[in-house]
Amino acid sequence: MTAPEVHHLFHNPIADHSFSADHKTLAVARNTTVELYSKVGNAFKLKDELKGHDKTVTSIDIAPNSGRIVSCSQDRNALVWEPTPQGYKPTLVLLRINRAATFVRWSPSETKFAVGSGDRLIAVCYFEEENDWWVSKHLKKPIRSTVTTVAWHPNSVLLAAGSTDAHARVFSSFIKGVDARPEPTAWGERLPFNTVCGEYMNNSAGWVHSVAFSPSGDALAFAAHDSSITVVYPSAPEQPPKAVISINTQLLPFMSLIWNGEAEIIAAGYDCEAFRFAGGVDGWQLSGAVETKGRPGLGDQREESALNMFRQMDLKGKAKDDTQLKTVHQNTITMIRPFETSGDAVKKFSSTGVDGRIVIWTV
Amino acid sequence: MSIIREHTQATLSDAWRTIDIDALEEDSPANFDTATLRPAQQQPEVSEADVRQLQAQVRQLLRGGDAEGALRGCLEAPAYGGSELARDAALHTVIEVLQSIKASDMTPMLRRIYGGAGGSECLDVLMKYIYKGMAATSSATGGAPRTPTRMTPQPTGFSQIGPRPGASGESTGAAMSVLLSWHEKVVEVAGLGCIGRVMTDWRKV
Repeated sequence: MTAPEVHHLFHNPIADHSFSADHKTLAVARNTTVELYSKVGNAFKLKDELKGHDKTVTSIDIAPNSGRIVSCSQDRNALVWEPTPQGYKPTLVLLRINRAATFVRWSPSETKFAVGSGDRLIAVCYFEEENDWWVSKHLKKPIRSTVTTVAWHPNSVLLAAGSTDAHARVFSSFIKGVDARPEPTAWGERLPFNTVCGEYMNNSAGWVHSVAFSPSGDALAFAAHDSSITVVYPSAPEQPPKAVISINTQLLPFMSLIWNGEAEIIAAGYDCEAFRFAGGVDGWQLSGAVETKGRPGLGDQREESALNMFRQMDLKGKAKDDTQLKTVHQNTITMIRPFETSGDAVKKFSSTGVDGRIVIWTV
Repeated sequence: MSIIREHTQATLSDAWRTIDIDALEEDSPANFDTATLRPAQQQPEVSEADVRQLQAQVRQLLRGGDAEGALRGCLEAPAYGGSELARDAALHTVIEVLQSIKASDMTPMLRRIYGGAGGSECLDVLMKYIYKGMAATSSATGGAPRTPTRMTPQPTGFSQIGPRPGASGESTGAAMSVLLSWHEKVVEVAGLGCIGRVMTDWRKV
């Protein structure tokens, strides 16, 4: 396994990050701005700053094909940044929410995006040609608390959302005139807007931090604050699911998870490193950490001279420097995303966290 | 003058911050019972008679020397959603079992339970009992347990102003030390995730 690529961007938490499809541009949410980095040699150099929000930016996403960036913030707004020769041009989206926007993702079709919010609803936004602006429709029922995360089904109609009321839900976000009628799936056949196709919670009901559909869209995984991940396999529309598998772990809770094919999930969170889960319909288990311990440079202790040891004892009261974690990330990982994929399999994924680092891992 | 005016303007414009907007909104969490967020209780309510029966079974197992069976028995039938009395009785049963197990047997036993089917769930339940036990014993040392005027429970388990622990205080102190050593062993086996689950879980013992 090759060593991970580590970039320490700044000493601020990174709320969210997104790479453009060609990997040349990296967008990072830092405080109230979106910073765009481009790769120069082996390092990321700050290229542009997108200033438009006046409160903390909570989430960003770059559409892979159109290159549009969508960002949302605690100031209750979402902005779509259109790339032009003169730089990025922001367009305000009317979300009609009166609490913070927490999470935003483009649909795979890139004609819509969904914004989760503290207003107990999800705003599904699409562009109206005749009025030349972005409008939003609200997914409201039966959400009872802040929406922390959303994820799109490959058909761009079904939307999964995790919330602090401890439920992961699957909704239809079908919008006439924007979406083509979707093929029936195990989640549902007729899908008018705001159809609730599934509502799941695990036994101990921690609030949900992350949701993700499997590459085929036929399974849903979510990570909750009770240090568990739960995988749901639906059977048929309006039927109880085929299997709901919960894996409680000995670790701290996971903040983000991605699927690697249909039989592996990678999750990372408060333990500052990523873990793999393997399984299928019959069961899942934790199969180990992504990071190999004892990496050169950090794991091996340098040969210390006696003089140096006593000097350290004198200066700091201890001989060893124990202020560093043994993991690459030095604080909670808040977001992981696929970086390089071949078919359904993830070959590389990127992670960012509270420590201001972005790390690209080879699976 | 201008400073004063600016100041009053600032206070005026900040007044809205103190409005409790949740109270004004109909479907805000402040205005509905958060219990409705959870699924209906799946287990039937545990009655006091059930707990007594369990207690008798557990004691019999203990007398027969099967401490592991006794512990499993307690953890597989947690007293969720019972009356206060039933839950207290269940707690006492668990503490009784915990006190009867030797320190050297703890870790191997926990590992066996964790490795078995539903083991993670069992240890979560055990952790819930341990925390409940700590809360109960610390409030007992915080104030005289049988007087109606209870003192507020001391979260640390130590009290500066309470009466010197007497004979009963010593036994609660012993119970606390047993719980603390079990806590350490459970975390060793079930990890920190176990503590997190106790805190997030809405099913209280």
